[in-house]
Amino acid sequence: MQNRVDLSMQQATGNAVAQIYSENASISHHMSEALHQSLYRVLTLLMAVLPGILAFFVALLLFAAAGLFISWVLHRCLTWAKFDARISRKSGSDWAPASSPTEIVARVSFWICILLGLVIGVSAFDTSYASGAAPAISLLPYLTHAIGAALLLVAGVLIARFLSRSVLISAVNAQLQYARFLSLGVKWLVLVLTAAMVLDHLQVGENIVELAFGILFGGIVLTLALAVGLGSRDLVSRSLESHVEHPGERTHIPDEVAGASQQIRHF
Amino acid sequence: MATANPIPENTLAAESAAADLLVFVTAMAPEHFKAVLANLQSAFSPESLVVATQNELPSDVSSSLRIVATPQSNGAWSLKPMDFVNAAKCGGEHGAKAFLILGPESDSLSPVALRSLADSVLKSSIDLAVPHYSLPSHAGLINSAILYPLTRAAFASRVRFPLSIDLGMSYRMAERLARVAEPISTANPAEVILWPVNEAIAAGFVADEVDVGRRAMPQPSDPDINSILASVTGSLFADIEAKAALWQRPRKPPLIRRPTADVDLTDTTADVARMVAAFQLANANLQEVWSLVLSPNSLLSLRRCSALDPATFRMPDSLWARIVYDFLIAYRLRTINRGHLLGALIPLYLAWVAGHFNVMAAGTPAERHIEAVAAAFEADKPYLVARWRWPDRFNS
Repeated sequence: MQNRVDLSMQQATGNAVAQIYSENASISHHMSEALHQSLYRVLTLLMAVLPGILAFFVALLLFAAAGLFISWVLHRCLTWAKFDARISRKSGSDWAPASSPTEIVARVSFWICILLGLVIGVSAFDTSYASGAAPAISLLPYLTHAIGAALLLVAGVLIARFLSRSVLISAVNAQLQYARFLSLGVKWLVLVLTAAMVLDHLQVGENIVELAFGILFGGIVLTLALAVGLGSRDLVSRSLESHVEHPGERTHIPDEVAGASQQIRHF
Repeated sequence: MATANPIPENTLAAESAAADLLVFVTAMAPEHFKAVLANLQSAFSPESLVVATQNELPSDVSSSLRIVATPQSNGAWSLKPMDFVNAAKCGGEHGAKAFLILGPESDSLSPVALRSLADSVLKSSIDLAVPHYSLPSHAGLINSAILYPLTRAAFASRVRFPLSIDLGMSYRMAERLARVAEPISTANPAEVILWPVNEAIAAGFVADEVDVGRRAMPQPSDPDINSILASVTGSLFADIEAKAALWQRPRKPPLIRRPTADVDLTDTTADVARMVAAFQLANANLQEVWSLVLSPNSLLSLRRCSALDPATFRMPDSLWARIVYDFLIAYRLRTINRGHLLGALIPLYLAWVAGHFNVMAAGTPAERHIEAVAAAFEADKPYLVARWRWPDRFNS
């Protein structure tokens, strides 16, 4: 009797273990199948995108090679035609070797070819994209936005540097002690504006970026206004005083002082 | 038997007078113009003279003086290209052999000075007679610091005032200047400056200077040093750039001039301290700009200068020559924006002026110091030529 019970218990335990094993096998089977499917999707997507990427690089390389060739041909032809000498005669200026008209034309032609290569590469990427694939993200419009944003950033940085240098030199010549501060303020104003425009172009943040830009820009302008206003307080009060007439209290400027301020004649 | 249609005597006289001298008087105040006419009548016989001007005639002008009207041009403190065009045109119409161009406030020139200018062209076969003014030591500083030394070194010209506002010219010189001025007079008439001395040397003509004594120098309507230095120096740099093929040839250096006596040796009330402070402020703030233009040696020397006390402040002549040459090279290469470049030169120029005044206060005559500066420019010309031809090499 006892043996039968033991046997039945053993059988039940064995069945349970077998059941667990079979359940585990089916779970692992499901998991491996899921992994295989996701891997398959990734590979499918990659295979759909790779030809486009390859087409992009091939187009870019081809046009870069064409640009080099065209640039070399133009350089030789313009040198043979004495293009620099003709331009110098007309404009009356002597060109530095590194920035002669021939060099400029050759370089511009090369970069135009590179730009064409980029444009054609992007359109080749688009057309070679498998029509059956359904990518989650539409890359192409965002890519153009990204290029536009990069151009905006470059232009903004150049303008910021130019303006900051202009302000620095003008302020130093005006003998303003806070010339460097003014220059930095102008530079950061332009850079902050540029950053906001870039983020807006990329459609990142939107309201948050707008609000942050407004606060930051307003803060910089207020700081600059306070600095200039407080710094020139004495100048403004002296200017106002000089416009107020006090009979009998006219300030007589001694001739030698007035004369001294006019004595240096630079021309 | 009387001839038909006798030619009136005054017309005959006018024709023979027109062949001698044409005096082109630029726009000026009526009282100045009246004084100029009086000086011209004292200096020349009316028959030998034709006066071309755009000014209104005074009511009491002498009828013997022959005056012709010229087209209006914008009044300025220096001679403009249109003045040369109009002068040559008038001279051609009247068959003048020599020209005299008188700038604003030329009533301060004595009749003797006017006569000397005219005679040097008419009798001494000089194509371009440039006046040598006797100015106070604190006047004409841009000319002393930059224009004269640079023109002398580059073009081997001994003319002390290369941007003179009065000139004596031969007919061929007037034609040459009109030909050069014609295309640029319409482009940007307000800003373009012509350099007659450089043009004369480029054409192979004879240029010399004539002592004319004191003269009241007209000042620009905007006397701000920023605009004056930028326009005058920038114009000279552009002219040197255009004539690069000429001044790089070895030329015979000019004769050593004896320093003339200063007019005011003791008049040194300039604000040296203010100019030194301006230079020190620029030294603290413009290092990044100057480092794009100047050599490391020059930058180090400037740092040493900025540590000097205003009373003992000096800028060595060789350093100033290097600075001007480096800025000229940078102007040509467009290392930085040209407006920024010339703006960055201003504090360095003020530093030179402060040192110049200190040198005079120490007892050295102004002209002797200016000649020393010009000699430094001449001595360093090989540096300029080398950097012009090989701009990528930075000679320290």
